[in-house]
Amino acid sequence: MAIPHEHIVKSFDDELERINGEITRMGEMAIGQIQAAIDVLNRRDSKAAERVVINDDAIDELERIISDDVLRVLALRQPMARDLREVYAALRIAADIERIGDYAANVAKRSMVLNQSAPVAPARGMPALARLASELLADALTAYRMRDAERSLNVRNRDAELDAAYTSLFRELLTYMAEDPKQITPCTHLLFMAKNIERIGDHATNIAENTWFLVHGEAMSGTRAKADKTSE
Amino acid sequence: MTNVQIAVHTNAATPEPASAAKLTTRNLNFYYGDFLALKDINMVVPEKRVTALIGPSGCGKSTLLRIFNKIYAIYPKQRAEGEIILDGQNLLDPRYPINRLRSKVGMVFQKPVPFPMSIYDNVAYGISHYERLKKPAMDERVEGALRQAALWDEVKDKLKQSALGLSGGQQQRLCIARAVALKPEVILFDEPTSALDPIATGKIEQLIAELKRQFTILIVTHNMQQAARCSDYTAFMYLGEMVEHGSTQQIFTKPSKQQTEDYITGRFG
Amino acid sequence: MDAIASERLYRRRRLTNGLALVLSGVAAIVGLFFLGWILFTTLDRGIDGLSLAMFTEMTPPPGAPLGVGGLLNAIVGSIVMCTMAVLMAAPIGIAAGTYLAEYANYTKTGTVIRFVNDILLSAPSIVLGLFVFVVLIGMPRQIGNALQDTTAGQAGGWLEGMADWLIDISGFSGFAGAVALGFIVLPVVVRTTDEMLRLVPIQMREAALSLGVPQWKVISKVLYRAALSGILTGVMLGLARISGETAPLLFTAFNNSFWNVDLGAPMANLPVTIYQFAMSPFENWQLLAWAGAFLITCFVLLVSVLARFLLLRKKMNHD
Repeated sequence: MAIPHEHIVKSFDDELERINGEITRMGEMAIGQIQAAIDVLNRRDSKAAERVVINDDAIDELERIISDDVLRVLALRQPMARDLREVYAALRIAADIERIGDYAANVAKRSMVLNQSAPVAPARGMPALARLASELLADALTAYRMRDAERSLNVRNRDAELDAAYTSLFRELLTYMAEDPKQITPCTHLLFMAKNIERIGDHATNIAENTWFLVHGEAMSGTRAKADKTSE
Repeated sequence: MTNVQIAVHTNAATPEPASAAKLTTRNLNFYYGDFLALKDINMVVPEKRVTALIGPSGCGKSTLLRIFNKIYAIYPKQRAEGEIILDGQNLLDPRYPINRLRSKVGMVFQKPVPFPMSIYDNVAYGISHYERLKKPAMDERVEGALRQAALWDEVKDKLKQSALGLSGGQQQRLCIARAVALKPEVILFDEPTSALDPIATGKIEQLIAELKRQFTILIVTHNMQQAARCSDYTAFMYLGEMVEHGSTQQIFTKPSKQQTEDYITGRFG
Repeated sequence: MDAIASERLYRRRRLTNGLALVLSGVAAIVGLFFLGWILFTTLDRGIDGLSLAMFTEMTPPPGAPLGVGGLLNAIVGSIVMCTMAVLMAAPIGIAAGTYLAEYANYTKTGTVIRFVNDILLSAPSIVLGLFVFVVLIGMPRQIGNALQDTTAGQAGGWLEGMADWLIDISGFSGFAGAVALGFIVLPVVVRTTDEMLRLVPIQMREAALSLGVPQWKVISKVLYRAALSGILTGVMLGLARISGETAPLLFTAFNNSFWNVDLGAPMANLPVTIYQFAMSPFENWQLLAWAGAFLITCFVLLVSVLARFLLLRKKMNHD
């Protein structure tokens, strides 16, 4: 459900549109980064991994731009009600996407280290995990673009899936490390990468919750289902 | 109350607790001749709180305000039907004495209208009609009213000078002092700052925040940000109807009617 | 629009502007010219008659040598009658104006009263004089005579006393003159009071009423103060108008060559004196007539300027 109809002062709409567009672009870049990280894992391509790390700067830059734009709208337009929730949500979502970008870059960075040793069996599970996270992010961003609260609720529920997958990968890695102590180093890197991907899922859920707030004006009810059982 | 700080007072941080109803309107209809200007207004004005009336031009907010002190009665073609209950009595009852009503419900207008007299006389004018006070007692009342209006320090040395020599903001505060001097229970403000510059506006807003500790305040304003800053409750009106009425925080963050939201966000009106 | 066409249009506009400026300037000069001419003529002709004696000596007999006599009785008579007229008409006028502005403002009654007032305002002063003559002089005499005829022979009785009184008062008198002049002042004051009160912004009324003060008190304490200079101006303009009126006095106060401050008898006054003296063949009288004319002109000018000044000061106060 898009914004109902236009402001009397058209330039206000233009500014909101602009922030919208910037978020969309940032989201697309983040998804691209995750795909590239998956790719780097599969192909063990350190050159590609470097590029992913460098591209993260662009995402950070966009987050700064969005911050500035939001600040300007707040100061100059005194947005109320829904308009206020729009810019507030945009600010928070930008922060979440920026963290996602950082995690994707971290995954790529670690895979460069991983490539220096031989491939490890549990690494097969990583691309699937990353793909789950990427889908979650894509859905969250679509929900935001369409201002679809139902979709957001769905995203939050599916985060549990991602958490469960992470938990099982975690257990697998622990088992592998216990069996073969020589694999501890690569497995530890994999652990961190898996954790980063799980965090991507959490941030995607944040985006979904912010979208819900934007539409309904109140927080999503109930607590997140946390299926991350690794600390139990 | 010496130097008035131009602190713009927000209510959103800690909303006031709810209070009893001071004024209640029931099935209020208002006619200009044959034209029905206000349709079936039912609203509650809580005691010792600031209630703001907002809405686009011609929605009837000033009309509604002016019913509360029956100032419409001087115009032959205007009449009101329905009830307005103040302290258990219906104001619109023709038997309710008008001067008693106006001593309980004071009004401050959009354009500051000081009387062509000295500052002292302006404030004493209303008092002298109701009470026979000796000079010292009257002096005290006048000083008290001017202090309450945050004007005393600026005029204490020139009480005998003509009120017309004051600046716009000072004249408006003088009008507030004049209203406050009668010790009313309710004060009505009809766009009190629309003729003033931003600093004078800020001073009046600060004054309203202080006055509400003692008086129930009803303010009509064109300026939504002012309503958001100053009031505890806001009522949105459109074409003579009360569309929505609730706490200011709720109206400005999550209004329940789409019309209210559209007006507040500048999409219509 | 191309440059040439717009240039032509501009030039044409400037031409029209200049033409209008010249024409209106000429019109103003024409008006001022005649005013100047009048003042100059009266001064020129009357300067010889102007002296302190004008204010201290009474009107001389015809044919007396120049420089003898003055206009004292006429001046005093005019002052007395004008003052009386204003004292009688101003309160009634202010009250009527207040009624129109405050109580009958948008009603039909108000419209009718304003209309009638405007008619009175533009009524020819000679008609007013004739009216006062009939009511205060002609009718009492008729009734008195009739009464005398019916009570003829029967001595005493209040009817006869009444008849005598009626005949007694029915003569030219200063009082009748004052009444006639009063009728001229009245509509001026009504109109000015009405308009000045209506000029007071409605918010001031509302602000005063909101304090719970009754309407009459609002009028007397607030509105009159706000409109005071305007109302005074109206009274002064009325005064300026009557100081030169001749026709109504011809039928009411007539004139008196001697000193008289008794309102029951014909009273000397400046306009009729000027009329008499100017039409006469006697040089000393003619000179005094010019002097008197100059005096009246100056007085009217002074009062008008004062009235305007008062109004201007009020305007400046309010900005």
